[in-house]
Amino acid sequence: MSLLTRASTRYLWRHRAQLVLSVVGVALGVAVVLAIDLATESARQGFRVSAETVSGRATHRITGDAGFLDETVLTGLRVDLGLRASAPVVEGFAASNRLPGMALRVLGVDPFSEGPFRPFVAGGAAGFAADGAAGVDIGSFVTTPRGVVMAARTAESAGVGPGDSLPVLVEGVRWSLPVVGVLEPTERLTREGLAGILLMDIAGAQELLGASGRLSHIDLLLPESGAGTERLRLIEAALPPGASVAPVGTRAEAMAGMIDAFELNLTALSLLALIFGTFLIYNAVTFSVVQRRDLFGRLRTMGVSRSELLGLVLREAAWIGLAGAAIGLGLGVVLARGLVRLVTRTINDLYFTVAVEGVALDPVLLAKAGALGLGATLLAALPPALEAARAEPRLTTLRSVFEESARRLVPRAALVGIVFMVVGGAFLGFSSRSLPASFTALFFVVSGLALLTPAGTVLLVRASRPLLRSGGGLVGVMAGRGILTSLGRTAPAVAALVVAVSVTVGLGVMIQSFRGSVVRWLDGTLRADIYVSLPGPRTSLATGTLDPEIVASFVAHSGVVAHSTYRAVDLLEAVGGYRLVALQLDPRGESAFDFQGGDADEIMARFQAGEGILASEPFAFRRELAPGDELTVPTPAGPTSVPILGVFRDYGSDQGTVMMSRRLYDRYFEDPEITSLALFLSPGSQSEVVVDELLALVPAGRTVIARSNDTLREASLEVFDRTFEVTVVLRMLAFIVAFVGVLSALMALELERSRELGVMRAWGLTPGELRRLVLTQTGLLGLVSGVLAVPVGVVLSVVMIHFVNRRSFGWTLEMQLGPEVLVQAVALALVGALLAGVYPAWRMSRTAPALALRGE
Amino acid sequence: MDAARGGGPAEAGVHISDLRKSYREGGRTHAVLAGASARIASGERIAVLGPSGSGKSTLLNLISGIDLPDSGSVSVAGTELTALTERERTLFRRRRVGFVFQFFNLLPTLTVWENLLLPLELTGRTGSAGHARAASLLERVGLPDRAHAFPDRLSGGEQQRVAIARALIHEPALLLADEPTGNLDEDMGAAVADLLDELVRTQGSTLLVVTHSLDLAARMDRVLHLDHGRLLERPQ
Repeated sequence: MSLLTRASTRYLWRHRAQLVLSVVGVALGVAVVLAIDLATESARQGFRVSAETVSGRATHRITGDAGFLDETVLTGLRVDLGLRASAPVVEGFAASNRLPGMALRVLGVDPFSEGPFRPFVAGGAAGFAADGAAGVDIGSFVTTPRGVVMAARTAESAGVGPGDSLPVLVEGVRWSLPVVGVLEPTERLTREGLAGILLMDIAGAQELLGASGRLSHIDLLLPESGAGTERLRLIEAALPPGASVAPVGTRAEAMAGMIDAFELNLTALSLLALIFGTFLIYNAVTFSVVQRRDLFGRLRTMGVSRSELLGLVLREAAWIGLAGAAIGLGLGVVLARGLVRLVTRTINDLYFTVAVEGVALDPVLLAKAGALGLGATLLAALPPALEAARAEPRLTTLRSVFEESARRLVPRAALVGIVFMVVGGAFLGFSSRSLPASFTALFFVVSGLALLTPAGTVLLVRASRPLLRSGGGLVGVMAGRGILTSLGRTAPAVAALVVAVSVTVGLGVMIQSFRGSVVRWLDGTLRADIYVSLPGPRTSLATGTLDPEIVASFVAHSGVVAHSTYRAVDLLEAVGGYRLVALQLDPRGESAFDFQGGDADEIMARFQAGEGILASEPFAFRRELAPGDELTVPTPAGPTSVPILGVFRDYGSDQGTVMMSRRLYDRYFEDPEITSLALFLSPGSQSEVVVDELLALVPAGRTVIARSNDTLREASLEVFDRTFEVTVVLRMLAFIVAFVGVLSALMALELERSRELGVMRAWGLTPGELRRLVLTQTGLLGLVSGVLAVPVGVVLSVVMIHFVNRRSFGWTLEMQLGPEVLVQAVALALVGALLAGVYPAWRMSRTAPALALRGE
Repeated sequence: MDAARGGGPAEAGVHISDLRKSYREGGRTHAVLAGASARIASGERIAVLGPSGSGKSTLLNLISGIDLPDSGSVSVAGTELTALTERERTLFRRRRVGFVFQFFNLLPTLTVWENLLLPLELTGRTGSAGHARAASLLERVGLPDRAHAFPDRLSGGEQQRVAIARALIHEPALLLADEPTGNLDEDMGAAVADLLDELVRTQGSTLLVVTHSLDLAARMDRVLHLDHGRLLERPQ
C-alpha cells in the first residue's frame, strides 16, 4: 500500500463513525433498490414460470373473447380440420384452508390430448410416467371423480399425500378433492411453475368450476414453417365469431403488462432511497475533504499532483461504495423476502393471481443494484474529489477561502435550481401521458428545490437573528452566525434533510388525498344496504357465479325491497385488460355514479335504455376515450361497437371498468349468470340482522359473502391501506436513510468544530453554554429544514397527485392538505436535528479545552 | 544595492528576475512584489528578512512554482519555472524542492518513518538505499527511537526535526524554509537551526530561509531584505 493510500486509510479509520454512517447509507440505498427489484421480479417470474409451465410447448392458443369457449369449437376443429395437436384446457381458481393465503390454480386437462403439450402431464402412452411423476396412474386420474394431481411441495405444505383428500372452496362451494398423485419434476422451473396448481381431468374441472360444456382455451402446436402459417389461416377462418387465435405469449405479456405502472412507481420510490444514500456519501466525502484541505494543500506543496489527489479521494469513495454495496446486497435479499409478500399481495388484490414461493436471486438484479450503489457513490464523491484536486499548494491554507467560495455559490445554486424547476415544468407540460417524463420532471423539481435550499437557509437564518438574540443571547447569535459562516458544510446537510422530509410530506399528502378520494367515492358508490358475492382469489373484485337459487332466496327475503345485479367478465386485450360489468340497476342505485361531465340523469336514462356503455376514468384515460366515442366490445357474436355515454369516477381498478346495462349485455352474451348482488332493505331493517338471516338461507356446503354497507366500506379501505403498505414501508426506509445522512452530516459538522469549540471553552464558555450552542445550532438547522420542507413537500405532492398518479393509474385525486402532515414534517426535522446534536454537544462539553485545542 | 548582482553561476542555483506580483483585495490592487530580482548560487545559504506582509511567503510560492508571477522569471537549477505547465511545476517541486514550514506540517495519519519516506515514494526511490537514507537521517536528527510514533506524540522541536529530515531526504536542489524556528523556543530554535545548517552543508543544497529571526539570519551566507516589493542586500 502506498503511503498516500495508507494516510487516507488511517484518516478514514480515525473518523470511523463517519465512515460507518457512509457505508450504512450506501448499504440501505442499495438494499431498498435491490429488495424492490427482487420482489417485483420474483412476482413477475412467478407469474411467467407458472404461465409457461401451464402452457407447456403450446405455440398458439384459441380463446373466447368473452373469456370462455364452447366445447363444440374443439370438436369442429378436430373433425373439420383434422387438427390433432390440440388440447382443451379449463382453468379457474380455488382456495384451501390447508394453504392459507395461497391462490390455487385449477387446471383441467384431457390427458389423452396432452402428449405433445405438457411434459409433466404426459410422457406418452404411460401418461404420468414421465419426469418424476412417481406413482401417478393415468387410469385413476381419469376415473377418480374430481381427482387431483399436485406438485409434491404444494402437497407437503398442505399436509396431504396420495390417498388423502384436499378440502377446497371454489366459487363459494366446498369440495373435497381426492389426491391421486404427486409430481416431483426434476427441472427447477417446472417445479416452481407447478407450485399451487391442481391438475384435474377436464370433466372434473368443469364440474368444479361450474363450466360444463365450456373451455377456457384450446392449446395448439403449430409448426413454424409456411405450413404452420397456412394452418393458422385455416383455423382462423374456421373459428366461430367471438373466438380468436394468438401466439401463446401474447396473453401472458398483456397480463404481465398490467403491473408495469405499479412496478415503475415502486422502482422510483426505491431509487429515492438510493438518492438519499448518495446525498449521504456526498456529505461524508465533502466533510472528509474539507477536514483535510490543509493536508491536501501540504501534499500539493510537496509535489503531489491534482490527478493523484482526485484518485485518492475517489478511491476512498470506491471502497465505501464497495463495502456499502456488499452489505446492501445481503440486506436487500433479506428485505426482499419481506417485501415480496407485500408486493404479491397487492398484485393479487389488484391485478392477477400469482403464487410466489420465494425470492429468485437474479444475478443481473444483484449486479445492477451493486453497480448502482458503487456508481452513485462515485458520482456523489466526484464534486468533493474535484474540490480536493483543486486544493492550492499554499504554505498556509485558509479555510475561509473555501467558505467564501461556498457563499458565492449560493445565488448561483439558486439560479440553477430555478432552471431545474423550469425544466421539470417543461417535462410535465411536454407530454401529458408519459410516466417516465413525469418521473424525470419529479427528479428535476426535487433537485431544483434542493438547490434553492442554501438561499432559503440564508434567508431564514438571517430572519431569525432577532429571535436568536433575544432568546439565546450571545450563544444564540453565535449559533446562527456559525451556520452562515460554514455554509459550505451546513447547506448540503440542510438540503438533504429538506429533501428527505419533503418526500415524507409529499408521500403523506398523496396517500392522505388518495384515501380521502376513495372514502368519498365509496360513500357515493355504496348505495345499497347489503352486498353479496363469492369468496374469490382477488379480494377487491368479485369473481365467480352466484347460485341462482341463493339469489332467488335472498331477493325474496321479506326485508329486501329492491336489488341490483352485477355480472363481471374480465377481458384481456393486447392494450390491457378491463372488466366488463353487466348491470341491472335499481333506480335507487342510479345516483352511485359520479360522472366527470354531462347530465347525470340523461346519461343514466340512456344507459338504462341500453343505448351505450359507461367507462371508468382509468379506462377512458388509458385508451384516450371520451363520451361520444365508440368502444369495440368483444362479444360471442363478434366485435361490436358501442357508444360511450359517460365517464365515471372509479377507484376500484386501475385497469378500468366498462359498465353495460343488463339489457344490452343480454343482447350479445348468452350468459344469464350473476357475479354479485346488491340489496336494498325496507326502512327500519337492520343490515346486520338481515345479513345473519340471509346467511342462514345458504345451503350446507356453500359459502357466500354477504356484507353490510359499512362492512364492505371497511373491507375496501382495508384493501386500500394494504395496497399502500409497500409505499409506507418504502417511505419509512427512505426516511431512515435520509435521517442517517443528516445525523452523520450534522454530527460531523459539530465534531469538526471541536477546535473552535475548544477555543471557546478556553475563553470561558461553560460546558452548559457549549451544549446550548451546539444544540441551538443543530436545532436551528432542523427547524430551517422543516420549514423549507413544507412548501417543497406540497409541490412534490402536487406533482405526484396530478401527474405521476394520474399517468400511472388514470385516477383524478382531490388534494387534501391536513395540518398534521405539515406539523409532523417540522417536528420530524427538528427532532432529527436535535438528536444529531446530542452526541457532539455531550462530547464537546466533556472534553478538556486543552485536548480540544490540540485537535489532531 | 540590488541583490541580483551578487552570487555565482545562475544555472545551478536560483535566478529570479524582475518578479512582479499583486493581489486584488476588495476592489483594490495591492502590489506585493514589484520587480524583485536575485541570483543565488548553488549551495548558497540565504536568509530573507522583512516585516510581516512584505511578501516573503509570496516570494517562496513563486520560487517553488506553487504560484506564477504577473511578470518576471524564476529559474531553479537551470529550469525556467515560469515556462512550465502546472503539472510540470508540480513534478519539478516533487523532485527538486524541499520544504520546511513554521507549523511543521507533518501528515498526522503517517508515522514519523512514513512521513520521511513519503517524498522518496513520490519520486519512486523507496529502495533499500532509500530506507538506509531515512534511517541515517533519523539518526542525524536524533530521533531513531521515535520512528513509529505519530506526529501528535512529538514535541514541537521534535516535529520540526522530522520535518527537516523529510525536506532533505530526496536530496532536493533547493530547500525552502518558512520561519522554521518561528514556533520554537530559543534553545530549541538554535538546535533546529544548527541541524538545518549542518544537513544543508553536508548535502550541498541551496537554502532559502524566510525569517524574522536575526539569529537565524546571521548563520546564513547572505541576507536579503524584502523591502517595498524588491530584494535588497541592505535595508534602505
